[in-house]
Order: sequence, then C-alpha cells, then structure tokens
Amino acid sequence: MKIIRALKSGALRALKVWKGVLIVWFCYLLLVSLVAIPMKGALKAGFGQSMITEMLRDGINVEVFSDLGAILTNLIAYFSSGLFLLLLFGILMNAFLTGGLFDSLKGISVKFSSAEFFRASARNFWSFLVITLLINIIILFLTVFIIGITAAITMQSYNDSGTTSFLAVIVAAIILLSVIIILILVADYARAWQVAKEKPACFKALGFGSNRTFRTFLSSFPMMLMLISVQVLFAWLVLKILGSWKPLTTGGVFLLFLMSQFLFFIRILLKTWRYGSVTSLKEKNDLLTDAQGSSNI
Amino acid sequence: MKKPVIFSILILLFPFVLKSQIINKEPLSERITGYEIDARLDPVEKTITGIMEAFWVNKSSDIIPDIQMHLYMNAFRSSKTTFYRELRGFPGYKDSGFGWIDIKSFTGGAGTDLIPLIQYISPDDGNPEDRTVIKVSLPKVARPGDTVFIKVIFETKLPSRIIRTGYNDDFFFVAQWFPKFGVYEPAGMRYAIKGGWNCHQFHAESEFYSDHSVYDVKITVPKEYVVGSGGMLIDELDSDPEGKNKTLTYRAEDIVDFAWTAWPGYAVFTDQWKHVNITLLLPEERIEQVDRQFTAVKNALEYLTKNVGPFPWPHLTFVDPPAKGSGSGGMEYTTLFTSESADKIPDWRHLPEMVTVHEFGHAYFMGILASNEFEEPWMDEGMNSFWEARIMDHYYGENSGRIDHPMLKISDKSTDRMNYVRSEKRQLVSNNEYSWNYPDGAYGIMSYYKASTWLYTLMGIIGEETTNEIFREYYKKWAFKHPCGKDFINVVNEVVTKIHGDKFGPDMNWFFEQTLYGTGICDYKVAEIMNRKSEISQDNIRTGNVPDSSLSNPDSLFTAVARIERIGEVALPVDVLIHFSNGDEVLETWDGKNRFKDFNYHRSRKILWVKIDPEFRIRMDVNYINNSMTLDPDRIIVRRLTNNIITLMQFFISFFTF
Repeated sequence: MKIIRALKSGALRALKVWKGVLIVWFCYLLLVSLVAIPMKGALKAGFGQSMITEMLRDGINVEVFSDLGAILTNLIAYFSSGLFLLLLFGILMNAFLTGGLFDSLKGISVKFSSAEFFRASARNFWSFLVITLLINIIILFLTVFIIGITAAITMQSYNDSGTTSFLAVIVAAIILLSVIIILILVADYARAWQVAKEKPACFKALGFGSNRTFRTFLSSFPMMLMLISVQVLFAWLVLKILGSWKPLTTGGVFLLFLMSQFLFFIRILLKTWRYGSVTSLKEKNDLLTDAQGSSNI
Repeated sequence: MKKPVIFSILILLFPFVLKSQIINKEPLSERITGYEIDARLDPVEKTITGIMEAFWVNKSSDIIPDIQMHLYMNAFRSSKTTFYRELRGFPGYKDSGFGWIDIKSFTGGAGTDLIPLIQYISPDDGNPEDRTVIKVSLPKVARPGDTVFIKVIFETKLPSRIIRTGYNDDFFFVAQWFPKFGVYEPAGMRYAIKGGWNCHQFHAESEFYSDHSVYDVKITVPKEYVVGSGGMLIDELDSDPEGKNKTLTYRAEDIVDFAWTAWPGYAVFTDQWKHVNITLLLPEERIEQVDRQFTAVKNALEYLTKNVGPFPWPHLTFVDPPAKGSGSGGMEYTTLFTSESADKIPDWRHLPEMVTVHEFGHAYFMGILASNEFEEPWMDEGMNSFWEARIMDHYYGENSGRIDHPMLKISDKSTDRMNYVRSEKRQLVSNNEYSWNYPDGAYGIMSYYKASTWLYTLMGIIGEETTNEIFREYYKKWAFKHPCGKDFINVVNEVVTKIHGDKFGPDMNWFFEQTLYGTGICDYKVAEIMNRKSEISQDNIRTGNVPDSSLSNPDSLFTAVARIERIGEVALPVDVLIHFSNGDEVLETWDGKNRFKDFNYHRSRKILWVKIDPEFRIRMDVNYINNSMTLDPDRIIVRRLTNNIITLMQFFISFFTF
C-alpha cells in the first residue's frame, strides 16, 4: 500500500509540475538540435540531388550509407564527438533542471511557478551536479568492474561448452541492473533531501540517500524497480514506433516529429513521476521517523 | 626375403582396393592419388600416429624423377616458418603449443628406405626454416603410366592454437595432418609451360590444391569421443579388449582432402536431402539451431544442384564447433565442413546459415571444381562468395540475406560489395595474384569480395539465366579436374556467344581484362541535367526530331541534355533511364567507353531526373549516390532521419543523466 500511495502521489505531483516538464523538454530539444541540425545539413549535402534516398524509404539501407564514403566517416566522427559533448552538456543541464523539478515536487501543492523553478535550479545546481557526477562515476566504475569479472569468468570458461559464459553474462546483467537501480534510488533520495534543506550539502545528501535507500529498502527498491521497468518498456515502445513509422510526405514527417517530441515529453513526465514518488516516499518516511521520535520522547 | 615380397604384393593390390567402388557406382575422378591411413589419436599427448600407404600415378607423358609432398603441419613448428612469418605471430612458448609432423619411416614400393632421399624445399619463398614441402627423389624414375607407392609412418603433433587445425583441451580438429602429394602438372595443364610439381608451402593466407583421391582411413580414439569426418562410416569396432578405445573406418571417394574431428561433447543429428545423408555435429547448447543448420545446408544443396550441377556424394558431414574449437570454424574439406555460430544467435542474424552455405559451397568451388587456391584464390573464394550471396538472398530475402531485423535489413550481396568498394586496398593489386602475394589485408577483399562483386556485375550484364548456364557448363567441363582462370573465361565466352551472339562483342575478354586482371574502379556519375528553351530549327523539323505536340506549341520546346560521366577506369555498358516532366521515360544504353556522354533531346518537356543503371546491375560501381540526379530532390527521408536522430539523442542523454 505504501508503494501504491507513493506512486499515486508521485504521479499527481508530476502532473502538477507539467510546466516544469515542458521547460525540461524544450531545453533538451534545443540542446540536441545544436548537433542534429548541422548533421541534417551534412546529410543533405551528402545525398545532393541524388535519388538514392528512394532506397531509404523502407528504413536504413547500409549500402546507401556506405556509399557516402568520406562524408559518412566525417558524419560518424561528428556524431560521436557531438554525442559526447551532448552528454557533458546534458549532465550540466540536467543537474540544473532537476533542481527545479525536485523543488517543485516537494511538499503539499503550491502552484507551479517558473520563477521559483529557475531559482531552485540555480540554488541546487552545484550540489545536484556533484551528486550526479559521483553517482555516474560509481556506476561507471561498477560497470567496468562487473564487466571485467564477467569477461574473466567467460575467458576462464573458454573450455566449457558455453553455458558458464552464458550464465555469467546473465548474472552480471542482473547484478549490474540492480546496482544501477539502487544507485539511482540513492541519487533520488539525496536530491529530494537536498531541496528540502536550505543550504547545499551534497555529501550529507548522499549520506542521507544511502541511509534511506537501505533503511527502507523493502519499499523503495520494488517501487524503483517498477518505475524503471515502466520507463524501459516505454523506451522500447518508442523504438518500435519510430522503427515502424516511415512517413513519406512532408506532413507525415511533421506529424512524426510532433509524435516523437510528445513521446519524449512523456518520457520526462515518467522520470518526474519517479522523482515525485521518491519524494513522496521520503516525506512519508520522514513523518514516520518524526512521529517515532516524538513518541520516544 | 618373404616380408618384402608380401609387402610388394599388398602394395600392388592396394590401388585396386582403393579404386574399387564403395560409395559411388563409377569413379568421379581420375584418382591420380589414393591414401590408406591407420591413425590413432593420443588425447593426452595431442598426437596422431599414423601408418599411411599411398600411391600416385604418373598420368602425364613425362618421365618424372621425384615426387613432392606437403607436410603442412610443420607450419606450426616454430615462429620462423613461412606461415608464422606471414602471420606475424608465433605458436607460443610451450612445446604443447607447437605443431609438427615427423616422418618416422618412408619407404617405396619395394620397401626401399626413401628417407635419405628426402629433401625439404621451399619453392615459394626459399625459407630454409620452412619444412612444409618435401621432395623425394625416386630410386627409379616414374615413367608415363607408372604408379609410385609409398608407405609412411608418421607422428603428427597438433598445435594448441587452432588455426583451421589443432586442439583445445579435449577438442580436436585434425586437418592437414598427413603427408600429402602435390599436384603434378604436365605441360599445357593450367598455366604449365613444362611439366612440374605444383606443391606450395603452407601460407597464412592461402588454402590448398590437391588431386581428387580415395581415402580409406581408420581412426582409433578413446571410446567417449564423438568423431566426424569427410568419409562415410564403414565400420566401428572396439579396438582393445577393455573397450577403452574404438576404431572407426571411413571411406571417402574423389575428394581433395580428408579431415576429421573428435570431441566427447558433440551431439549428433542426421537428416536427408534427396540422395544425401547429412550428419551434423554440434555442442548440446546449440541444439535449438539444428533446424536452422539443416535448412541452410539443404537450401544450398537445392540451389547449387539446380544452377550448377549435382552434388555427387551420398554423404555429407558438417560441424558447428564449440567455442573452444572456434578456430576450426568456417573451413571446408568437401564432404566435411565446419560452420560457425554461438550458443545464442537470434533468428534474425543469419550468421550460422551464411557460414554453412558458404562452406558447403566449397564442395563445388574447389571440391568438385578443384582450382588451385594458392594461385587463383578468386576461383574458389570469389565464386563461392558469389553463390553464397545468391543463395542467402534467395532463401532469406532479397534484402535480408545477412540480417533480417525489423529495424535493420542487410543483404548478403550488399556485404560483399560494401567490403570491396569501401576498402582502401581495392586498387592495390589485381584480382589475379597468388594468395600470399596480396598486400596486408587485401587477400580477403580481393579474393572474396571483389571477385564476388564483379561476378554479380557480369550477371548484371549478361543476365541471370546466362550466368547459371555458364556455371552449368563450367561444371560439366571441369568437374573433378583442375580448371584455371582462363578455362573459366573460355566457358564464359563460349556460353555468352552461344546465347547472345556478338551482342557483347566477339568475346567477354574486355570484361575480365578490366575486372579480374585490372586494378581500376568502376564509377559512373550523372554530371548534369540541362533544360534550355529553344526554338524549333528547320533541321529538327526536317529530321523529325520534334514531337508533334510541340509543333503546335513551339514556345514550350526544350533542348534537354543529360550528361553522363565515367569517373572510374572500368568501362562497362550501362543503362541510362531518363525521365521527362510529362512522365515519359527513355531507356538508353551507353557503352561507357568515353569519359562523357551527352543524351540530347528536343522535346516539349524538360528532363526531370536521370538514373544510370536503374536496376543496380553494375555492382562494381563504387558509388551509387552519384548514379542519379533529379531537379526535385526528395528531402523527406533526410528529414525523417534527422527526426529519428533527434529523438534517439534525446532519449540517450535523458537515460545517462537519470
């Protein structure tokens, strides 16, 4: 029941801050367009006046892309470096915007204010950035570690029939996913705690996040697992839609653009639902702790 | 005295035993060579000890003073062998890593010890450290029609690093393991000006060349081992009273090599395609792939039988080696071949099917049509890749022979073309080099991909049915012989002329000179579309080069020009499709000989677009993008693509920024 209540409350809070979600969506679109629009130009130049694009109507045709030759090599280089830069700027932007989002989600409903959203974003930026970076580094380190161990097991079991390697990969994937979910939970609790405090204290926040994650593990983990599963399912759905929808008219492409952006908006809303649910669960547990504290007195 | 006499009698009877028919009603080949081998695997020492009796018949009119034989396994003897020098690797530091073959005894027909007459030679590179070829001077020259008998006792140690052959733990793939005759080529055969042995060393990037032979092979292994070989199982007996070992007797007829594998972990499955009993050996973990594997090999059997010629043997064994034996995967020994897979391969990825089809195809291209893979690798790998692509795309989808995922489809023929056209080495050398002479990395690109791509181009020019007819004729003429490149070209010329007359000229040599023997690339381009308003000249009216409708509306008459350019050196005939603004289309043909060609029209409509090779028949063209031009480019696809990139990027960042 606790989980359901938190999820329900999280959903309501997320819907309440839809304007904040809209701001986040717009910032993402702006950021990505900085890389994607020049790419579009390069692709247009690469295909020139050719009619070869007819062969792309049904989807990706590697032979056509391969014929782009040097242009494709440059595009890949541009795409890779662009993606890396986007990731860096994305982390900065996300650290900024989630400050506002978490702040808007806390407590009992006050009307969403853009000014307050940006004020909170600025106020929480550094501590959110440190939290994000630290959690990212831990995830990266653990990923490398787990993959390393898996690779070692796989190489050791080279002489086996292959079952050991397969099992090792499956177990490693489950462990890695669980660890990532736990770390995201820590980060969410830490951020929810941070916005509730006046002063930035990222390490204290992370301490709180870890503490709360493990103290309320039986409720927090299943809730997070559900939320992440919904997000993964949604991402899969988006991939399916994008993969199968191949409009051949200008209007169709515009409709696809609108739909894609709507889906991405929903994706941020789902993320905000996660933030809201964790915030709600935290607040409920805070009340419980406070009540327990008063009864002890 | 008695022993040599009995031995001599046995030796004299030996070819009759080998030449007797067990598998096929009639011999398929001349059977210049034959082998009877009694082999025992020692799974602890990783050795095979063998007693081999073999013969070679001098079918030429030459008097031959010696024989030459391959001792391929010596390629793994040290890092100084030609094989390892070319590989720029080494077999490891431990003795267990090395591979070698030691001749314990080598006697002639009369029991003469021939060991003193053995000389190691290195005909390809003179490397004194390479001991993969021996020359044995005969005590008595071999006159035309003579049969040379030998009896060899040998020990073969398998290398631990499996490169086609070797062991890993309890897995054994035993190939290139016994002393094997080279091919004696009399003057006039292939490119031979005078008679001589064609017996190349073992190279890193080369395969083999042998006569079709009969093999009677006994293999003794521990009882728990499952054995697969290129032969037909004749007998299986316990080889000792304790029942610890078993001896399997195999017979193979008219194949160019005999290899076998032994591993206790194999699961064995059998199936049938018409007259062919098919056996599949694979690890237990891949049982779910059994149907995929059988379907693939049956597809290949069906397609090649229909379009090239019959598969003459009633038996076929193929192996999907386990991960620890993966180095033996993707190799062919005619009636035995190895596929390649992994424990979990999704259905949309046709890797096991592709390797199975490819390796089976070698039963034709080098198995039946036993070209010299050392000297003309394209005749084997190139032709086979061409047929592999045709089979894969035929049975698994025109655009999905390699990958058939809802979001990504890749045809097999595309893979070959992309590998060729995108390679920086595509012009380094011609397609007609000895396999070990190709510069680094060019062997695969040239002998597999370029050859496959120009064979597709040839088919594009002369048509699919003519191409099939060429291969049927090639099979008819050269099955169980040793064709060379010029023999294939002669067949092409003969069939094309028979079917098309002089449509493509007196012969097709112009095609091969550019593609097989040349280093140029093929690239056509639509250089320009010009539409100029023009007045009707009296000349045009007089010559009738004016549509009737334009006479009534002279203001709308256009001089429309489509300019086509040949950028590459290779000049092939191409179709050019020209589309006018009123929907009219004109299909022109250009011989491609000049650098430029203008197609001029005086019409009441403009040219809207031009496509060179609209059916994509000239697959050698290295750039399809410049093959067409339109005045109204379709930007929708680029917009759609950009939209998808934007969305994927958004999700990507959002995922990593939790």
